[in-house]
Amino acid sequence: MKHPVLSNKVRLIIWWLAWLILALGQLLSYYLGSGTITALSVSDNAISMLIFSGLALSIWYPFSYFNNIKTGAGAMISNILAGGAVSITLWILLTRLIVSSLFRSSEEFTLYWDDTFYFRIGSGVFIYILVVVSYYLFLSLTTLSEKKAREARLETLVKETELRMLRSQINPHFLFNSLNSVSSLTITDPGKAREMVIKLSEFMRYALSRKDEQPVTLRSELENLSLYLDIEKVRFGDKLTTEENIGEECLEVKLPVMLLQPLYENAIKHGVYESTESVRISTVARITGDYLELVIKNNYDIAPSSAKGTGTGLINVQRRLELYYGNRASLRALKENGIFTVTLYIPSE
Amino acid sequence: MEKIRTIIIDDEAPAREIIKHYLNEFEPVEVIAECSDGFSGLKSVSFMKPDLVFLDIQMPRLTGIEMLEVMTEKPQIIFTTAYDQFAIRAFELNAVDYLLKPFPKRRFTEAVNKAIDKIRSGQGTAQPANQLLEKMPDSAQPVSRVVVRKGNSINLIPVENIRYVESQDDYVMIHHSAGKALKQQTMKYYEENLPKTDFVRIHRSYIVKVEEIKRIEPYGKDNHVAILNAGDKLPVSRAGYKELKKELDF
Repeated sequence: MKHPVLSNKVRLIIWWLAWLILALGQLLSYYLGSGTITALSVSDNAISMLIFSGLALSIWYPFSYFNNIKTGAGAMISNILAGGAVSITLWILLTRLIVSSLFRSSEEFTLYWDDTFYFRIGSGVFIYILVVVSYYLFLSLTTLSEKKAREARLETLVKETELRMLRSQINPHFLFNSLNSVSSLTITDPGKAREMVIKLSEFMRYALSRKDEQPVTLRSELENLSLYLDIEKVRFGDKLTTEENIGEECLEVKLPVMLLQPLYENAIKHGVYESTESVRISTVARITGDYLELVIKNNYDIAPSSAKGTGTGLINVQRRLELYYGNRASLRALKENGIFTVTLYIPSE
Repeated sequence: MEKIRTIIIDDEAPAREIIKHYLNEFEPVEVIAECSDGFSGLKSVSFMKPDLVFLDIQMPRLTGIEMLEVMTEKPQIIFTTAYDQFAIRAFELNAVDYLLKPFPKRRFTEAVNKAIDKIRSGQGTAQPANQLLEKMPDSAQPVSRVVVRKGNSINLIPVENIRYVESQDDYVMIHHSAGKALKQQTMKYYEENLPKTDFVRIHRSYIVKVEEIKRIEPYGKDNHVAILNAGDKLPVSRAGYKELKKELDF
């Protein structure tokens, strides 16, 4: 890990300011104790704080090292205590060496030194604690914010992947059966075959080209769905009819791309595939309050079906709503009297 | 030479059209009916007794596979479907061929020629469905209904209505909420295809829905007997008792 002070100019300035304050504080307390300020006490203060500051800067390295290797609390405390004893001793010795060499009149110096010795130890302990605590704070704050950033990154990654997976993939059965219809129409009705190929292409382009998760308007979603339903109408003829009642004000509401596709696929799969009667899919959209309300209905055969739905389609839509809107959107499905109804609420803003 | 009488069963009109169109080139083949769902398909097959049937799998009312389960007359079958997960089963069934939609004319011609050969040489038709179904590898999802034939009517029994299944030689008796029905199938099929969370094989001859069991009593020295809600008493073998214990966690 980089040095928290040396690697950052602003912090370095704050660091020296803090030491200036400490030096002044120490000088003040000496003045309060002795009543005088001498050249000796001023230079002693300046020199001792300079030395301690250098020591404190270098303490960071063993400190962050021991903090990284995750020792127990006991080992940590003894490390800190040992580090403190060593630094304070070193500090006092160095200060004495330098200050005594500056002030040769040894009598004044000896007196002054003896006078301030215990005070000096106390001040050293105090400053040492201050340094360790600030390093600690710094370390825990940065690991915390780093952890948070990492988690956030991970979360967006997971979300994106999930959204990509959830966005309905084109059902291969739909594709192959549609292509079979095209193959048939090339003989019986080439014009219609061409029309179907174009619709199929447009539908595929819409479904495949949207690599991003940018929301689209309800208008383009509905346009795409009508392509899909038109193709299914070619396959099933009169067995499939559709009805739309979309409020003009709904068309520009944005929603996730291909969100509704699975709902219509369900209507086809459980309605049209399983029924001999005609199936009508109706879509009603309107704005209520701050929400777009979408109601999709289809009738179905109540006889037991050959394959129970797994609910994947509905779960898929529900999950996408959650990922996009949190709890601001909702989906409700209801099966009653041979009618399957899905009601969706999506924030209209 | 006699015509080869053929029925096309598919719920999509264009899919039937292309088969009809391709068949124009086969002089001996005559399309006698077209059906768009499993029920009417089954009716037509038993009524008209065709030589050859083009059969889709995913259809309303009855799937192509279910139709075969209850078909008494078995014509030659060519499956035509986009659902390739059934391919292996179809071949096990001795279907003449299995055409994946959309299919090229070459493949279609191949299939029809094979069928004509088989019909002309009087070779065997599709196997009874129970043999097919027994060989089915574990299907992706458990069955959700059972199709049975009672005289001329076809019934669909939802799996949740089945109380228990009893083996009777080559048949199984399906006891359900509205009576019972006999079907030519194996216990193994039911053991593998009924939802495992709801049904337990308690005996060589019995698979029972766990919910239906009212209580289990000791019977004789080593055995037990299960008493169902409706009062039926079914023997529980030692292995079955172990299964039940595991399932019910007692």
